[in-house]
Formats: sequence, C-alpha cells, structure tokens
Amino acid sequence: MSEIELDFFELVKRVDTDKMGDFISYDREKCNGCGLCSFVCSFNLWAVKQGKAKLAVRYQELCVECAACWEVCEPGAIDFSYPAGGTGVVIEYG
Amino acid sequence: MEKWDVVVVGGGPGGSYAAKTAAEAGLKTVFFERGRKSGEKNSSGCGLGQRWWRDFPELMSELQELPSVRKIEMVVINLIDEHDRLRYRCGTTGSDLCANRWPHGMDGISIYRRDLDPFLAGKAVAAGAELRTSTLISDVLMEGGKVTGVKTEKGEPIGAEVVIAADGAMSTMARKAGMRNRWGGGCTLVPQLDFGCNEQKMDDIIGNAEWCWFGPLYGTYQVNFRDGFHIGAGQWLRDDWDEKPLDMMKKVVSIPGFQAMCRAIEAKPREYQAHLLPWLKKPPKTYMAGMMLAGDAAGFPCPLEAEGIWHAVVSGREAANTAAWAISRGDTSEKALAEYERRWRASNLGKEHEFGEEFVNLWNSSIFDPKLMARQIQLLLEFSMLHPFSIVFDWGDAHMDCFNQHLEHLMDLAPEFGEFGKTYIAPLGRGIWPKNVKRILATVKPRVPGLRRLSDENFFKVVARLSKGLAPFLDPAAKQDAPLPREAYGAGGR
Repeated sequence: MSEIELDFFELVKRVDTDKMGDFISYDREKCNGCGLCSFVCSFNLWAVKQGKAKLAVRYQELCVECAACWEVCEPGAIDFSYPAGGTGVVIEYG
Repeated sequence: MEKWDVVVVGGGPGGSYAAKTAAEAGLKTVFFERGRKSGEKNSSGCGLGQRWWRDFPELMSELQELPSVRKIEMVVINLIDEHDRLRYRCGTTGSDLCANRWPHGMDGISIYRRDLDPFLAGKAVAAGAELRTSTLISDVLMEGGKVTGVKTEKGEPIGAEVVIAADGAMSTMARKAGMRNRWGGGCTLVPQLDFGCNEQKMDDIIGNAEWCWFGPLYGTYQVNFRDGFHIGAGQWLRDDWDEKPLDMMKKVVSIPGFQAMCRAIEAKPREYQAHLLPWLKKPPKTYMAGMMLAGDAAGFPCPLEAEGIWHAVVSGREAANTAAWAISRGDTSEKALAEYERRWRASNLGKEHEFGEEFVNLWNSSIFDPKLMARQIQLLLEFSMLHPFSIVFDWGDAHMDCFNQHLEHLMDLAPEFGEFGKTYIAPLGRGIWPKNVKRILATVKPRVPGLRRLSDENFFKVVARLSKGLAPFLDPAAKQDAPLPREAYGAGGR
C-alpha cells in the first residue's frame, strides 16, 4: 500500500477550460475498436463500447493534452490539435 | 498580410534559440507560443549536461543562477528486486576526465522549464525577435508545394520566407504540410509526477545528483531540482504492455525505498504532467521547400537517453543559420534547405544520431521490453555481486567460494543473455575508436606466442588477416578517433 496519496485530477492545473474549444476530433467510421486510446489515456477519457471508442463529453476538463490517443490510433480515427492559445493545462513544474 | 523573413512556431528551447539566432543574423523574425508564456505547456526531465557549456557558453553563467537550479555531479541508480526491496544503489559519476573535459568544472544542472524556457525566449526577444504568446498556429500556408507562411487559430495568415517548426512531438506544422503524420512506432509517452520538497533536506539527503529507479517492471528517472523533483517513466506506445502508463508511475511511488526517501525529504505530490517523446532510430526528413523542423518536431531527442532539449537548441540554431544562408541567396527551395540536414548531421547532434539504430535496438530489447525487463534486473543484480565491494561483504561462505558461486551462477544465466549480447551489444563495438582497439591489441601482443616479437604494425597486419571483425579497425586508412562508418563495419563480416 502506498502512503503517498495521489489525486491525479487535483495535480493538474488548467485555465479557461470553457474557452479551450474542440481539440480532439473522432471519426467513428474509421475506429476499429482496438482500445489503445483508452489504454494510454491518463484520465480514462476513452471507453470502448460495442467495438467503438467513445470520448468523454467534457474531456476538456480532464485531458492533459499529451496527444497519446492520436499517436496510437492506427486507423487514424482520432485527430488532435491543441486547445486555443492561452487556455487549458498550465504546467508549473515541467 | 504580415510578412516576415522567419516565422518560428513554438516558443520552447528549440524555437526560442532559432528565433534568437535568426534575429542576430539580422532577419525579421517572429516566434509563436501557444501558452501564456514559454514553458507553460512543456514538461521534461530537463537536466543540462556538460555539452551546454561547450556549445552555448554565452548562456551558462546566467542560466545556472535561475531559481530552480540544482547542481548535478552524479547519477544515483537504485535497483529494486521483485519483492520491492532496494538491493543495489550505485552511481555514475565523473572521473578526472569528466571533471576536466570542459573548463567550467561542473557536470550539469537540473532546471524547471518555467525557468529555462522564458529565459531562452527572453534572449530571443533581446536579440530583436518578436514573441507572440497565447497564440496557437493551426495551419501552414502553401503555394505549389512550398510552405509560404502559417495561419493562426483565428485564421490570420502570416507570410514567411522560411518557417521553422519547433512545435513539439505532435508538430501540427509537419502534419499540415504533409511531411508526416503519426510517428507510427518509435514514440514514447512520458507521464511525469512532480513533488515539492524541503530544500535543506534535499541538499542533505539527495545532494547534487539525479536519481533513477529500476525494477522488474519499471524504469524511472528522478530529476532533482532546488526544492522539488519529478519522476518520469517513459513507455513505448506499443501493445505488449499490460500496465497502463499511469500504473507504472503508481508502482514506483509504492516502492518502500522511494517512500522512505519521500519521508526523509518531506516530498509531497505537486503536479502531474504527460507528454509524447519521439525516441527514434533516425529522424525522418527534416526539411521541405520553405520549412525546416527543429527539436522534438523533427524527432531529434537522443536515441540513447531521449534527452531532447540540447538537441532542440542545437537544431534550432542550425535551422536559423540555414535560413539566413538560404534567404541571403534568395533560394528557400527544398533543394536549398537540404543544407539544413547537411549542417545538423555534421554537428554534434548528427554525431549522436550516428548510432541511433544500435541505441534504440538496445533499449527496445532490454528494459523497454516488459518480458525481458524483469530478467535484466536480475542479471544486473547478479553482475553487481561480482563488484569488489559486494564480494567483500558477501558473508554467506568463504570469500573465494562466494566469488566462485556467483561467477558460476552468472555463467548459468549467460546462455539466456548471450543472444542478447550478440544481437544488441556487439553492434555497438563499431563505436570503439580504431586507435583504442589498437591499444587493446598491443597489450595482448606480448601474450601471443610466435607473434610477440613482431612490431605493432606487423602484428596488426596479421590480426587483420586472421579476424574479419577486427580488420576494419586495423585498416591504415581508418580514421583513428572516430567510430567506423556503418558500411566499413558491415564489410568486416559481422
């Protein structure tokens, strides 16, 4: 058992989450349901149901902007841009 | 439409240094940062080694005074066994050679990106480049297959003679210009967990050192800053892992030895970050008409240890110098910008990538292979038993018996790892300088009956005839203080 409490949600800072815009797009047709997006996501924002991935509706509030879901998506169903300039994750101790 | 000589996308170290270099060359330069300030979107290990003093001496006296800096004089490696016990702690540290290689007398520093990135951006601004923050560049402008500028997220076009894309691993610029898409293998995900600590206790217990933790299912760096540290656990994005990246991090945090350290230095989790990190055998094409890629966008991080900041800065400098050269000739075509690749390959950055394939193969097949990793740790622990100190303190039997038992056990393990050595370690032999191979052979000569009376020169001739593998090193035409070219080594019959 770990004596170090890790609340990953609390450990990420963000600004202006309402102004981030849609920076992940998903093409259901191309998805092959492999589930790698769900595997690599730090905050479980992807779930695979009935052979297709599904992105959490309010993903902006949890995404750490790592783009791993885009990188692992073999069929190219996931596209990732960045949130609007000056919004989203703020890293203080990078 | 606004028109600039050089538009740099990205205000991280690569982008800022490119902007600084371009502005110093008299080019009208603008650089864009999507965060509210440079560094705000960036995370990394961020240890700056001796090569910084060699390559960027003008920065270093100021840089090492920034608030988050911790001096680094050694790396402490902690090996954890399958029962989560800390079994071996060793250090890589400097010999006289390391200490004196560069005149500054310091091995390196760790620094948070919130200090480093704005510092470098400030240098670019001081050189005359314009910095625009909170601005996302979302597209390239193209004409007839040539990049002619960029477009902001608000659709504003910005023209450029040359675009330098230093926009990170995902590089929107490279993708939009059609240079590449996903890395498709060879890219890692690095989750990072930062801890705030008691500075005095860090000084007393951690000292001037980076730490690493290696266990059966994890390899983690611990970068130590003035009053905090972070751990990061790089992981190849491939499907043979049965642990999620975050689980690996949780595993490290649960090691009793790690927790003891946290208690001792009053470490409290402070921030979580994750980023992609390309870790490639060789960077793909780094230029096209009107545009060059720098830093992570180009896939430059070191193929051996994946540090990418020095690589970003060196490539940013080379890209900007190439831009100045190309603009002065009035030719920024693809053919002209091929000069960039020639320049970075000839630089220290290119030297590092010469062994990209061998380095990446080695990692891929060892500690980054989840099945092999546990065995590798076992082997490392076993090797450590032959360390003079281990033998002295092994009180299981008479000392010489202990030594022989461990030697025997190591040889039992040898067949399992022999193939590994042959496939992944042996190819690195190409890197041994010919003059060092000759020195080793010269020490062997007196022990070879029949040949010991030959001159060194004639002895090498005989060896070259007997050994196809050694012949390329002994070829009188071989450069003495550089690795053999890949072709020459291959021709040697390995």
